[in-house]
Amino acid sequence: MAKQKTDPDPASLLPLRPSVFHILLALSDGDLHGYGIMQEVAEHTAGQIKLGPGTLYGTIKRLVNDRLIIEAEERPDPEMDDERRRYYRLTDFGHRVLKAEVQRISNMVSVAQRKRLIPKTRS
Amino acid sequence: MLVAYPPEFRREYGPHMAQVFRDCYRAERHAKSRLGIGRLWVHTFIDLIRTAPSEHWDNLRKDNWIMNKLRKNGIAILVTLGIIIGAFFLLSYGRRNEVSWILTVGYVLDALVTAGVIGNLIVFLLIMITRFNPLRIALWTLLVVNGLLLILSAVIGSRVDPQFKLATVLIGYVVSFVFWFGLHWMWAQRQSSLPAAT
Repeated sequence: MAKQKTDPDPASLLPLRPSVFHILLALSDGDLHGYGIMQEVAEHTAGQIKLGPGTLYGTIKRLVNDRLIIEAEERPDPEMDDERRRYYRLTDFGHRVLKAEVQRISNMVSVAQRKRLIPKTRS
Repeated sequence: MLVAYPPEFRREYGPHMAQVFRDCYRAERHAKSRLGIGRLWVHTFIDLIRTAPSEHWDNLRKDNWIMNKLRKNGIAILVTLGIIIGAFFLLSYGRRNEVSWILTVGYVLDALVTAGVIGNLIVFLLIMITRFNPLRIALWTLLVVNGLLLILSAVIGSRVDPQFKLATVLIGYVVSFVFWFGLHWMWAQRQSSLPAAT
C-alpha cells in the first residue's frame, strides 16, 4: 500500500499508551471485532490489562481518526459471524507505528540487558 | 450507563459497547462465576467514570464549542455588562446628588443591577455548558433569580428599613424581569433571523 502524503511520521506518535499498543498488537494477526480485541489483549497480557467497553471504543475511535486502523469491509467468516459486529483492521500506517513502538521498547530492553537489570535472551 | 457518553459517540459506538458488555456477561455466566459478574459490573462502572469525561472533553475540544458560543454571545455579554454598569452609575449619581427622578426609580435600578448581575451570570454559564434552549434558560433563571431576590428583599428590607415598601420593590423586580427577559428575547429573535453559520 502506498504511503499517504498526510500520514505523520510514526515516531511522532510514540510512545503509545498501553491500551493503544495492545489493541494494535492484537490486530497485527488479522481483523478482529471489539470483543475479540478485548479477549486477545487480556490473553497476551495474562489478564493484567482488561479493557472496559469505554476504553476499548474510545481508543478505537482515536485510532480510526488517526488512520491507524480502519473498519474492515469484508468479514473473516460470514457464516460463523454475527453480522452486527464491526471488525477492525490495522492499516499500513498503523503497522509502521506499531513496528516503531516495538523497536523503541526493544531498544529499552537492550539497555536494561546491558545494565544487567534483566537477563539476555538467547536468539 | 451509555447515557453518560456524548450523543455522537453513543450513536457510533453505543450498540457495540453494549454488545461487548453482553459478551463479557455471557462468558462470566457460562463460567458460573457470581464474583466474576460482580467484578464485571464494577470494572465497567469504573471504566465509565474514567472514559465518559474524556469523551466529553474530546468533543468540546473538537467542536471548539465553548469558544464558538462565547464568540456568538460576546456582543450580548458586552451589552448586558454595559446596562448593569450604566444602571449602577446612574443609581450612585442619583443618590449622591439626590436627583429626584433617579431616586424615584431607585428600586427599579437596584433590582436591575442585582438581578442583572446574578441572573445573567447564571444564564450565560448555563448557555455555555448545556445544550438547552437559551431563551428557556433565560426565562426560568430570571424568573427564579428575580423571585428569590424579591423574597430576600421582603424579609430583610422590612426589618432594616422603616420606610420599606413591598409594592415598590415588587414593581422593581417585575420591571427587572420583564426588562432582562425582553432583552434575551430580542437577542434570540436576532439570532434566529441571521443566516446559519457555515
